[in-house]
Amino acid sequence: MVTPLGLDLDTFWSGLIGGGDALTAIERFRTDDLRVGRGGEIKKLPAVAAGVRSRASALLVGAAADLRARARLGAAEDRIAVVVGTALGGVEEIEHALAGDDSPRRVLDGLYDAPAHALADWLGVRGPVLTVSAACASGATALGIGADLLREGAADLVVAGGYDVLCRFVLRGFDVLRALTRERVRPFDRRRSGLLLGEAAGLLLLARERDARGPRLGRLRGHGSASDASHVAAPDPGGRGLEAAIRAALAEADVAPGDLDFVSAHGTGTPLNDRIETAVLRRVLGPRASAIPVNSIKGALGHTMGAAAALEAIMCLLAAREGLIPPTVGYEEPDPACDLDYVPGGCRPARPRLMLSTSLGFGGCNAALVLEGVR
Amino acid sequence: MTRGSRVAGVGILTGWGEGVAALPADARAAAGGRAVVPLGRPALDGERFRRATRECLLGVEAVNVTLRDAAIDRASIRGDRTALLFVTAGAYGPSNAEFIVTETAGAGRTEGGQAQARRGSAGTLHFPYTAPSALSGEVAIEFGLTGAYVILIGGAPATVDALWQASRLLASGRCDQALVLAIETFAECEALWRRARWTLPAPLVEAAACALLVAADVAPVYRAAATDAGALAADVEARAGRTLTASPLVALGLARAAGGGVVRVGGAWRGRTAAIELATAGRAARV
Repeated sequence: MVTPLGLDLDTFWSGLIGGGDALTAIERFRTDDLRVGRGGEIKKLPAVAAGVRSRASALLVGAAADLRARARLGAAEDRIAVVVGTALGGVEEIEHALAGDDSPRRVLDGLYDAPAHALADWLGVRGPVLTVSAACASGATALGIGADLLREGAADLVVAGGYDVLCRFVLRGFDVLRALTRERVRPFDRRRSGLLLGEAAGLLLLARERDARGPRLGRLRGHGSASDASHVAAPDPGGRGLEAAIRAALAEADVAPGDLDFVSAHGTGTPLNDRIETAVLRRVLGPRASAIPVNSIKGALGHTMGAAAALEAIMCLLAAREGLIPPTVGYEEPDPACDLDYVPGGCRPARPRLMLSTSLGFGGCNAALVLEGVR
Repeated sequence: MTRGSRVAGVGILTGWGEGVAALPADARAAAGGRAVVPLGRPALDGERFRRATRECLLGVEAVNVTLRDAAIDRASIRGDRTALLFVTAGAYGPSNAEFIVTETAGAGRTEGGQAQARRGSAGTLHFPYTAPSALSGEVAIEFGLTGAYVILIGGAPATVDALWQASRLLASGRCDQALVLAIETFAECEALWRRARWTLPAPLVEAAACALLVAADVAPVYRAAATDAGALAADVEARAGRTLTASPLVALGLARAAGGGVVRVGGAWRGRTAAIELATAGRAARV
């Protein structure tokens, strides 16, 4: 993985459990005409990404290099698939193209599926290459479809996850929507006032249970998606789509809500999202809702959009392996409308086995994953 | 539990008109040298559509045409038992370009001024429409679709992947019916597409196409990495031109018009070829 907290899995994890905050002043592009100029910016890309044409592809290549250092791609190259999620694809290349760079490559790199193909080329794999673009729920759906490809027998290994870059296009967009905070990102906190964006790439190597070689981080037990059919830019006030996605993921996983040990929430830090998400979790989790720890890592990294769910899935699996749940950075003052256990303060010793991860995005996208850790 | 799916309705809108009957025998000849064969903005009533993009309206209209083809009404698909799977290669391009030109860059125009002239000033209301999910989101809102929801980006292989995902959702009982919707628009970004001409031979034909799949006992055969997209793919390109993600759905429309049966549809994009064999009802059949 490549994140603002660190350029590999180990530094990401140590940053999370240390309560790190990687939200800084953005240096890579102009922000002086925007209300907010802070975010989870990666200041220096990994050396392995030097020469990669677009920043989006470079993030994926950096994450893939970290993945390959930890896991062997032990299958025929035409049996390895790539499935990645993104909200923005290579849109920064379209910015360049419209700014006068008339290279044909810029246009092709600007299509949202270009970075996934660049990743497959870099890995040297020739299996199916899929790009999911369900806004900020993309990473979760990509992992789910990756698992489906394995079940179908369409691939023997799948490199799956998500990515997105922090560029002027998206910062300007969220800025005009007044969704960005000028303060600290505070998921579920009474004083929460908005999100900050981040950039990252997170990849996992998926294999069928019977084919798995070497150490494993865990299992993807189930995934679900659902549409709100409510509003293009805002979540359904009742959280119906999110609830449907969670229930679908639990059903596929054959897990009862009360059996969950930990929830990684979308937790953007916007007043609306966190209140809706809390209400949905309380409905779904039932009587045990208050006893199940719920965290959000967006106070540490910002909202990494298409990468978010992949990073959060990795965080869940590491929590199970390491016996520590990272805190919700920025959460300090309880909100009566957000009344779950949000892991305040520092990381919490616990060894969750069954975990839920939730995601929401523009266009009424909702997705959920049920993960099982290796203790 | 059922094992698979069957295509019960297909709606096709292309720059040539509505339905496969409107397709010319030779798209290149019919294009008459045009690089892009555009689709008009559907005239849909309602305040809700006042600010909607042309791409969104095309998606809504493609579903309307599909419902007519399947001889079912809107109420039949409303709710959480209908999955929506949306695919596109570049229908988000016009909104992206417009937002960049009017908001991000702050000055300048796309080549030919297309984006700037398209809808006038962009702004707060416009940014969410830069997301591909906004297109499918508007369709979901219009028809009240609250079931499983997948959005894939790519060319014809992405549509094959979506047809496969739809079949999986049906076979697993997650839904009773699934809409696979493809939208491609090129006119606003014609100058950008022209730069990439070496990969996209003329003509680019705008399209919005949709297939309604229902549960059936026939399991589809999904070839995620195929060597051959099937004979229909070549026929579609010759008759319809380059419709990218819409092309497998146009192929289903041709198959349905020809009486149905198990048909192989697919296509190639960025070096990948994918295909799926699906049972397709003939037009006389009803859901």
